[in-house]
Amino acid sequence: MMRRLFPTAAIVLAICYLLAAATGTAAAYQPVNIVHTEQVQAGPYTLTVGFSEWPLRAMQSLDFTFTPEGGIDDKTGTLATAQPDGKLRRKEPLSRHPRKHEVWGLDVRSLDKQGDWTFRFAIDGPQGHGEGELKVTVLEQPGPPLGLSWAISTLPLLALIAFLTYAWRRTTSKVTSVA
Amino acid sequence: MDLTADDRGRTATATSPLTLRPWLPASILFAASMTFAIGSTWDIQWHGDVGPDTFFTLPHLFIYASAAVAGFTSLAVILMTTAAGRAGRTVDGELGGPGIAVFGRTFTAPLGYMVSALGAASFLLYGLWDLWWHSLYGFDAVIDSPPHIGLFLSSTVISVGTVIVFAAARAQRWGYLGALLSLAHLLTSSTVTALAVQRLSQGTVRWTVVVTAFMAILLLIAGAALRRGGATMVAICGSAIQAVFWWFAPWAAREYANFVGLPLREHIRAIPTTPALIPFMLIPVGIVIDLLLRRTNGPARLLPALAGGLGGAIVAGFAPWQNIIIYDARLPLTSIIVGTAVAGAIFGALGGFLGWRFGAMLRLTAPTSEVRA
Repeated sequence: MMRRLFPTAAIVLAICYLLAAATGTAAAYQPVNIVHTEQVQAGPYTLTVGFSEWPLRAMQSLDFTFTPEGGIDDKTGTLATAQPDGKLRRKEPLSRHPRKHEVWGLDVRSLDKQGDWTFRFAIDGPQGHGEGELKVTVLEQPGPPLGLSWAISTLPLLALIAFLTYAWRRTTSKVTSVA
Repeated sequence: MDLTADDRGRTATATSPLTLRPWLPASILFAASMTFAIGSTWDIQWHGDVGPDTFFTLPHLFIYASAAVAGFTSLAVILMTTAAGRAGRTVDGELGGPGIAVFGRTFTAPLGYMVSALGAASFLLYGLWDLWWHSLYGFDAVIDSPPHIGLFLSSTVISVGTVIVFAAARAQRWGYLGALLSLAHLLTSSTVTALAVQRLSQGTVRWTVVVTAFMAILLLIAGAALRRGGATMVAICGSAIQAVFWWFAPWAAREYANFVGLPLREHIRAIPTTPALIPFMLIPVGIVIDLLLRRTNGPARLLPALAGGLGGAIVAGFAPWQNIIIYDARLPLTSIIVGTAVAGAIFGALGGFLGWRFGAMLRLTAPTSEVRA
């Protein structure tokens, strides 16, 4: 049986790899579809913030685009995100969106907490330095409660602990006698 | 499940033996575990350095192929040993450890392969859940989502089975070397699973570091209990995996991006994400543990716990400096460094106590010398 099983498994794997190679091109990745925009005034710069989902829900990922008037070629900038509780996330440079290279953006990023988030932009360009911010309301997360999801995820760990505990009790006398 | 099928290292007794060589399915199982390590390291680096994601990427294929190969290999061995038992043929006790009677005595499964098969089945179920999760929440590439941690924990179960499979043949060179390598693989993979607790790190204890220290110490000391000098050998193997992946992860992400025609992200530093999670101090800690435990035999409790406590404190205490070296990060507050090191020492002691016992249990999976004779 093993003699037949292993070559079969090897052939199946080889077919999978070939399929992956054939489908693994940039064209296979979803385009960025903006369904809602907001305007931010950052000093002299008008910035259009695009969202691929609207309204936003906690933990649900989406594409963000940040497009300054006149394009991004002669500008640099940073984005700092403040959570609903006011805590600041690490400031990050505004970078080209991986699937929409002509604008800045965040690809499939989620905001993990419900509440009012703040995006703070700082932009440097030919007209000098400018700062502005956008408040974004994030609604309740969809799907099951997070506690339930984590409970389901830890089942393999609980099973492993139960197995090790059972094996521990079964081997106590043998471990002692080996000593 | 019944662990009483055989106490003597045989899953069946009779005249003509089963001719399957134990090293063959064990090697395939180990290759499956390493395929998961390669796939997950590559995938995580891909999300950091490149970004765009679909289900059909090469790293994902490595990840899912690992569970499929582990599952089919384990199933094949279980069916073979069951058939051999029914035909009254002997099965080498080094083939996966003691036999377990499953569903009454419908199946006779070598312990290691049984554990791996259950891990693989669990992996595929969590894979389906992950697919559903992404359909609801999108493809945000967070490592520590509940389904991802479920997948890593299922992979841990496969790896535990792999360790048992090799430990059962520890009398052979390939057996003990495979067991130590499998422990090292488990150690390096556990550093990613430890990210599950990073949301708890609000106070003075960095729980990801503490859980990493706990797992590292538990597995190093299990190696020491399995074989003299085992902690150092597990540490060397773990550091070797870290070194290879340090080169491989950014390289594979870059080359795959070139292959599919995607640019790298702007402003990336191409730091190897998962190898950076593995403690730099593994080898010194492994040596310290082996030196402290060199005269310990049997069910000692205090010395493995002390060695584990010291090792845990070293791993957790050095973590901030590792972050400075890799990420040019700032040193955290002294209270955080001290709090994390103390928690690392406490959990390291627990890891030492458990690891020593687990190592002794692993030794029992091998057939006794009388049976081999």
